Amino acid sequence: MKRDVNRHISDKVFTGVSGGAIILLCCVLLLVLTPMFVRGASAVLFYGTVEFRKMQLELPIFDRGDAEEVDAEVAQALDARQEAFDILARFREGLDTSILRDQAREMNRAYGDYLRTLNLDRAEYRARRQAVRDIRDGFEAALASSDNAVADELLLGVAEQLAAVDLGGTPAEGFVGLVEEYQEIVARMDLSKREQYAAALDEVQEALRGLFGPLPGEAIPPLAMNQYGATRWSRVKSELDNLLWAEEWREVTPGEPLEKVRIARTEQFAGTELADMFGLIENNIEAMMLPRFTFYWQYFIDDSTPGHYFGGVGPEILGTFLLTLIAMAFSVPLGIISAAYLVECAGDNVVIRVIRTCINTLAGVPSIVFGLFGLAFFVLFLLPVFGLGSQKSILAGGMTLAILVLPVIIRASEEAIRSVPRSYKEASLALGAGNFRTFVTVTLPAALPGILTGIILSLSRAAGETAPILFTGAVALGPIAKSILQPTRALSYGSYDMAVGDRLSALVPHQQYGMVMTLILLVLCLNVIAIVIRSKVSKKLRGY
Amino acid sequence: MTLTLTQKGETVEESKILEKGEIAEDEIVVPCCDAANDAGSVVVASDFTLYYGSKVGVKNINMKIYPQRVTAIIGPSGCGKSTFLRSINRMNDLIPHVRTTGCLAVNGQDIYDKRVNLVNLRQQVGMVFQKPNPFAKSIYDNVAYGPKLQGMRNRVQLDEIVEESLNQAALWDEVKDDLKKSALALSGGQQQRLCIARALATKPQVLLMDEPCSALDPIATTKIEDLIGQLKSRYTIVIVTHNMQQAARVSENTAFFCLGELIEYDETGKIFTNPRVKQTEDYITGRFG
Repeated sequence: MKRDVNRHISDKVFTGVSGGAIILLCCVLLLVLTPMFVRGASAVLFYGTVEFRKMQLELPIFDRGDAEEVDAEVAQALDARQEAFDILARFREGLDTSILRDQAREMNRAYGDYLRTLNLDRAEYRARRQAVRDIRDGFEAALASSDNAVADELLLGVAEQLAAVDLGGTPAEGFVGLVEEYQEIVARMDLSKREQYAAALDEVQEALRGLFGPLPGEAIPPLAMNQYGATRWSRVKSELDNLLWAEEWREVTPGEPLEKVRIARTEQFAGTELADMFGLIENNIEAMMLPRFTFYWQYFIDDSTPGHYFGGVGPEILGTFLLTLIAMAFSVPLGIISAAYLVECAGDNVVIRVIRTCINTLAGVPSIVFGLFGLAFFVLFLLPVFGLGSQKSILAGGMTLAILVLPVIIRASEEAIRSVPRSYKEASLALGAGNFRTFVTVTLPAALPGILTGIILSLSRAAGETAPILFTGAVALGPIAKSILQPTRALSYGSYDMAVGDRLSALVPHQQYGMVMTLILLVLCLNVIAIVIRSKVSKKLRGY
Repeated sequence: MTLTLTQKGETVEESKILEKGEIAEDEIVVPCCDAANDAGSVVVASDFTLYYGSKVGVKNINMKIYPQRVTAIIGPSGCGKSTFLRSINRMNDLIPHVRTTGCLAVNGQDIYDKRVNLVNLRQQVGMVFQKPNPFAKSIYDNVAYGPKLQGMRNRVQLDEIVEESLNQAALWDEVKDDLKKSALALSGGQQQRLCIARALATKPQVLLMDEPCSALDPIATTKIEDLIGQLKSRYTIVIVTHNMQQAARVSENTAFFCLGELIEYDETGKIFTNPRVKQTEDYITGRFG
């Protein structure tokens, strides 16, 4: 009776533990895959701005979209942005006095030329020349001053001097306008903060470039990534944050380390006309960027601009696919033949046992070792022997991957071939078939499901490995390979490169996640195909 | 063994006399002993001994198997009856460290000679195994496997052979409509008859059956036994069985093996009613061991 209860309990516990393990496994899988897919999906599904559509239309590698429609949108967005740009231009003028100074100097020089044409006597010439020089010097002193009161006083002095000298009709008559303009600026702006403003303005302009692309009047930058503003709504938000908030290191509590403090730009530029611009942009950002929900399925076929800043992972998918294909083309036949030899032909002697041990050891060797071997053997030795260039290539990378997965395939095939019932082979042999014939027509088909399992495992491994192709076949940037003797981009290596690469990956996280998601999807697709084939084969073997 | 081989070498020329159609003209037929030339028998064993490494499988077997008859081999487990049966088409070669002495001849030819063509031998001596073991192919392909090995590609001829073999194996009426169906979808008894049809398709002279009914139910067993009765007019059948009633029902001759030795070999009637040796009587009456 008691034993029955015990058995019942232990059965329940066993079932519970097994179920728990399965659930745990599923949870871990979900925990890993869900964020990957959610973030990866942002590469394909996102709110694209007018900049995105402009980029897709203009860049020759995409060349997509309706030109008229996009042009209309761009014009509409520019309209909305224009007011902000105007404010910025005016503020910049006050900050950067070099324009006013240059104008003053130019006027002074022109006035000198004008005086010489009048053929005045020496004394008068000197007096009139000196008067304008004094005006210029006074104006420049006012420009250079960083104290509003001093500048105001200097400007008043200059204005008086101007009033004393009649410059009407001469090239120097513009001085009146200049002085008035600067007086206005001085009235608006705290000149003592000018240097501080200049540094902050750089940040603001950088953020504006991030939002809207190159500012009006600036030359078109050479890199595609700088030619366009924020192409995605998520990027708009982070650039907007940079625009509206400054970060500063400040001593919050005395004696403690400095702390990072966020300061609103409106506060930073308080009292200046630029303060208005921030509110304007914040309130009208949608009109300025025109976000629209975008399903960018072309992500999976598009080429990308250098550094994956724009575009998709088409070449990476192609490269990974080719590398895996070549790896399989080499490793599957070789693996099955080796397994067949080990099971069918080789006896059980010391040499064979050593070979088996070696194969098992190879399966556990770190992949970077295979990568270095591939570099030394395929790239540096074998390819030159066949008269091919000693460079990274899809062929060398594929062969390195083939060696990497060979032990897995051999072991799986060995097990599968060994588990074919002996009566199968005997039936064939008893009919007069030779060993080879028996293997090909009877043993191999019966072992195929098991062999395919090994192939599926190694397929995923080959597609996802980075280290073996690091030195033998993969590049991070470069043209799409035209033959298998050229290096290629690959998903695994691309993800790695973006992770260790540079600041770019921080700007385009969706690219990195998208690449990883694509890799998982690709492996999944290949696996599903292989599993379907396997189930077809086993179905045939079971006879339904 | 080596000594006999050199003797054989000298008799090569004169021994190309067998009239069997299947054997190619350049086939070397080597009689290994005087007994092998007995025209009345198909399989002749003389002092045949087989070792698994150092263990003896069968020992000093002297036995003649006659054509167009069913010869049953009975005996307790591990007595070497299957080993002897499998020696007749050299299936024991698959086991490592097997060696033989003495002589085992089929149609007067020593089958353990190095020059023997195994393919020809096995097509001449077909085999049916204990467990039905059809290939994971269609019924048609299973039967056509042997003829295809012989190089037959002609579709019409193949169709004829398949139909004929399935007819002989009494399976044609049951499967003629779905020859393309997988053989594994058949029932156990049908599968075993398919295996028989597959063995018959190579037109063998001798058919070896290694406990063909042990994995089948009584109804399927009856069918196979009926089949054996029909086949014996055309083939020489050797059947190993544990079932003494079966041996009594289907066979003309019966051999009793024990501990690797042939204890008694005679007509079935005599063995079961009036055995000469005490050991045989004990086994048959169930007093053995």
